[in-house]
Amino acid sequence: MKQTLRIGAAAFSVVAALAFSGCASGPSSNAGSGSTSLNLLVPTYDDKTKGLWQDVITGFEAKNPTIKVNLEVQSWDAIDGVMKTKIQGNQAPDIFNGGPFASYATDDLIYKAEEIASPGTFADFQESFIKNEQLNGTTYALPLIASARALFVNNTLLKQAGVAAAPKTWDELLDAAKKITSLGNGIKGYGMPLGSEETQGEAAIWLWGGGGTFGNETTLKIDDPSNLVGAEQMKKMIDAGVTEENPGSMNRSTLTDVFIQGKIGMQVLLPPIVGQIKEKNPALDYSIVPIPTKDGAPLTLGVADRLMAFKNKGDKQSAITKFMDYFYQADVYTAWVKAEGFLPTTKSGSVALSSLPELKPFLDVLPSARFYPTTNAKWAAADAAFKSLFGKIQTDPAAQVLTSVQKQAMAG
Amino acid sequence: MNSLPNTSAGVDKRHSRRGSSARSTEAHNRRWADLVAALPWITPALIMIFGVVLFPAGLMFYNSTRVISRSGLDKGTAGFGNFAQIFAFPDFGPIVVRTFVWVILVVVLTVLISLALAQLLYKEFPGRRLVRLAVIVPWAASVVMTTLVVYFGLEPYFGIFNKLFIDLGIIHDPAGFGWTKQPETAFLWAIAVAVFVSLPFTTYTILAGLQTVSVDTLEAAKMDGARPARIYVNITLPQLRGAISIAILINIINVFNSLPILRTMTNSIPGYDADTIMTMIFKYIQVQGRVDYASALSVIAFIIVLIVVALYVRVVKPMKEV
Amino acid sequence: MTSATVRATQPRSRRYTKDSISLGRVIARMATGLIVLLIFLLPYITMLFASVKSKAEIRSVDPTYFPQEWHWENFVAMWTTPETPLVQNLLSTVIIAVFGTLLVLLVALPAAYYTARFRFPGRMVFLFLVIVSQMLQPAVLTSGIFREFLALGLIDTWLAMIIVNAAFNLSFAVWIMHAFFAGVPKEVDEAAQLDGAGRLATLFRINLPLVWPGIVTAIVFTFVSCWNEFAASLVVLQTAGNQPLSVALTKFVGQHETSWHFVFGVSIVAILPVVILFMLIEKRLIGGLTAGSVK
Repeated sequence: MKQTLRIGAAAFSVVAALAFSGCASGPSSNAGSGSTSLNLLVPTYDDKTKGLWQDVITGFEAKNPTIKVNLEVQSWDAIDGVMKTKIQGNQAPDIFNGGPFASYATDDLIYKAEEIASPGTFADFQESFIKNEQLNGTTYALPLIASARALFVNNTLLKQAGVAAAPKTWDELLDAAKKITSLGNGIKGYGMPLGSEETQGEAAIWLWGGGGTFGNETTLKIDDPSNLVGAEQMKKMIDAGVTEENPGSMNRSTLTDVFIQGKIGMQVLLPPIVGQIKEKNPALDYSIVPIPTKDGAPLTLGVADRLMAFKNKGDKQSAITKFMDYFYQADVYTAWVKAEGFLPTTKSGSVALSSLPELKPFLDVLPSARFYPTTNAKWAAADAAFKSLFGKIQTDPAAQVLTSVQKQAMAG
Repeated sequence: MNSLPNTSAGVDKRHSRRGSSARSTEAHNRRWADLVAALPWITPALIMIFGVVLFPAGLMFYNSTRVISRSGLDKGTAGFGNFAQIFAFPDFGPIVVRTFVWVILVVVLTVLISLALAQLLYKEFPGRRLVRLAVIVPWAASVVMTTLVVYFGLEPYFGIFNKLFIDLGIIHDPAGFGWTKQPETAFLWAIAVAVFVSLPFTTYTILAGLQTVSVDTLEAAKMDGARPARIYVNITLPQLRGAISIAILINIINVFNSLPILRTMTNSIPGYDADTIMTMIFKYIQVQGRVDYASALSVIAFIIVLIVVALYVRVVKPMKEV
Repeated sequence: MTSATVRATQPRSRRYTKDSISLGRVIARMATGLIVLLIFLLPYITMLFASVKSKAEIRSVDPTYFPQEWHWENFVAMWTTPETPLVQNLLSTVIIAVFGTLLVLLVALPAAYYTARFRFPGRMVFLFLVIVSQMLQPAVLTSGIFREFLALGLIDTWLAMIIVNAAFNLSFAVWIMHAFFAGVPKEVDEAAQLDGAGRLATLFRINLPLVWPGIVTAIVFTFVSCWNEFAASLVVLQTAGNQPLSVALTKFVGQHETSWHFVFGVSIVAILPVVILFMLIEKRLIGGLTAGSVK
């Protein structure tokens, strides 16, 4: 007994020592007098993300020796929960790379964009992206990266199926998809990922492509009659059997791997996939073309992620501004965006990257980009409702699905 | 701590003797002395558990009556509004029913299979040690990892279980079958995985119980010519009662609270046709960002499992009398 | 006297020969055992194979049962990825699990023994209260736990997770050990106390050897659940190096693609130490009581 106790006591003194000395680098501990520490919380885009941020931080700290940046990286699955916990505990990160910002702005948790970026940095952002960061005319976040969607087409399959040119309208799309599907051997014409991962993306492409809308800053209109056109067309595709099996629960990243390996004829994808194809199946013969719509009018879905800064105790505003100014310099920022394979949101970045051939098709369609109504306070709930319910369009009537999404969104 | 003697009065009522007032005071004093003697042994456990759990649990109850914004800020009282929302949710009824189906099926299957497994592993045969080790592996692996690898194997296009089914001629679509893409099959596979990961603990608890079954009684019965099945039911099973009843209790609570298996297996499926209370709590938090609804549903879940366990403890009496 | 002691006095070999079984039955047992073995290992064999496949092969639409090339270097590469410092993650996991389990043992053993042996007012209430703490969904408690340890100044420390894990596992440990202590006849204690042994001595010298399988079951149960704990670690531990393997694993899951070979490779690394631990204590776990342990 005595021995057990002694071991236990020894064990605990060891733990206590470890706990209090080794890893007591708490979130707001300052490195020394006169210095500031910034907590940066970011999600993982891919396996390069953490290293890229570390490079940025190393460069920044070298130029600003009094500021220390603590990096915390979380997976996309986990980051929302971690954020909520931190905010409830009054421990929001100083800088956060995230999606929706409207709820943070309405809860008065984040700085205005002009407060955390010098005029020069702020003026460098492209207008269309800045507009997307505004609530009631005030800009709250700095657009970090953009992506636009386009139709990726497997040239080999199209040729085999006897499709002469990539489809521009829905009728051509359905026709081409039918021909490709009839090749058999598990090949499908069109990849329609409506699983919970990114349902709202594929939904937007179809509903807007038929002349629909999700509403604007003040009203949410998922059940708008204009959305029925696109929804019905989706059902037509599914019922014709030209999509993969169970489109309602197929996730995008899964289906993308299938497309890359040549088992899907056409799928709407985004810039980083270019890099993935290069890595995983460089032999794939594919083209990137504009997304087909009902009447062939140009349309793409633009998505931007952003950096926002939380108002925390202590005066960190100037340190945050220094960080933003450093990060958004053309060379630092361009290197980051290029490595991640996204589109830049700054003017100087666009100039620097416009010569990259793999980004060209996306930069071309960017002017016709439409964005989610991220500035609508209900958008986050609508996004969740799409993910939870919209896949039911595989089996349920289109109008019923749209109504259920709207209803859940309004209840959130 | 101070309330313990009072609250215990009801429990131990049948043992207290009513006599002259002197005797009852004496009994009273003895009860006090008994409690004081017990304190050093049980207080550390109470401090440990409630020191950590009480505040978060209290917060959960509190949050269930608050309005909490998406970003996590408290926006004032909701009264019982969150509970009203939960009860008004059309899928709430089916979800509760499915939760019971989930718990009952998983626990019953787990116990039945574990009894058989324990019996096999108790018998001597060459290679038994290897089999015993293999049975432990799902326990060593985290539930998330086990579920993930099964989910991965069942995926259309990429899954090797699907490939196996195709090669065996069970499935004809070269892309495989979407086991995890439809609520019914995904739910059944989730049950299979839940049973699989519950087997090691349950089997080993029963196996440990088998070690304490008297060999002499068994052999006496054998000599009397009793059939093995009879020996098992009449002699072995009753002596396993303690081990089995504890294993069931722990399994009920664990399976009821289990989140990762169903979450992984049914994650991409639209709608609420494969959800249990736990996955619904998760969806409220993770997808809809409603900590307040999630807290309210957690309170409901807590009350349900409390009633179930209280009934179980009352009927089965897994804690033996001294 | 007790079933345990009676059995304990019988030599192992005698039981085996006495149990005169036919060769056919042994073969049937072996065959069944083999099937059981395969079923239980199958998921982990596929996991192992997946972990040595190339990134491309693991997501091939023409899946392979066996790796085309065995990329054992995956197991080297994963220790130095930019995503997570895996060596430190492993160390964190070991420290949290070992000390968490020790703490549980230290606290649960006396409580289990006493409640199984002695009657006192509030005994049932205590046991019920203890298990009530297990009925709360951990995912909902994490937010409160974060605030609690923030107030204690223990956020981002191993100590916090050791305490949390101990609290989460205490009640089942108490119940499992309680059940086994309760199985030992009271006369054993009384005999020991007649010989002048104190309560602690009775517990450690007399009872422990008798209920060893139950104790080990509780230890293993606790250890495994500390080893794999995820929900609380995710919010309490923020520095990448302090996080356990369960959290580190998620760092390989990206928005657009996931390094599955590393996910499964790290899973194997996380499973192996526990399996080895099991191998070492398997005899203790169920091997029963060796002859002469009760004197």
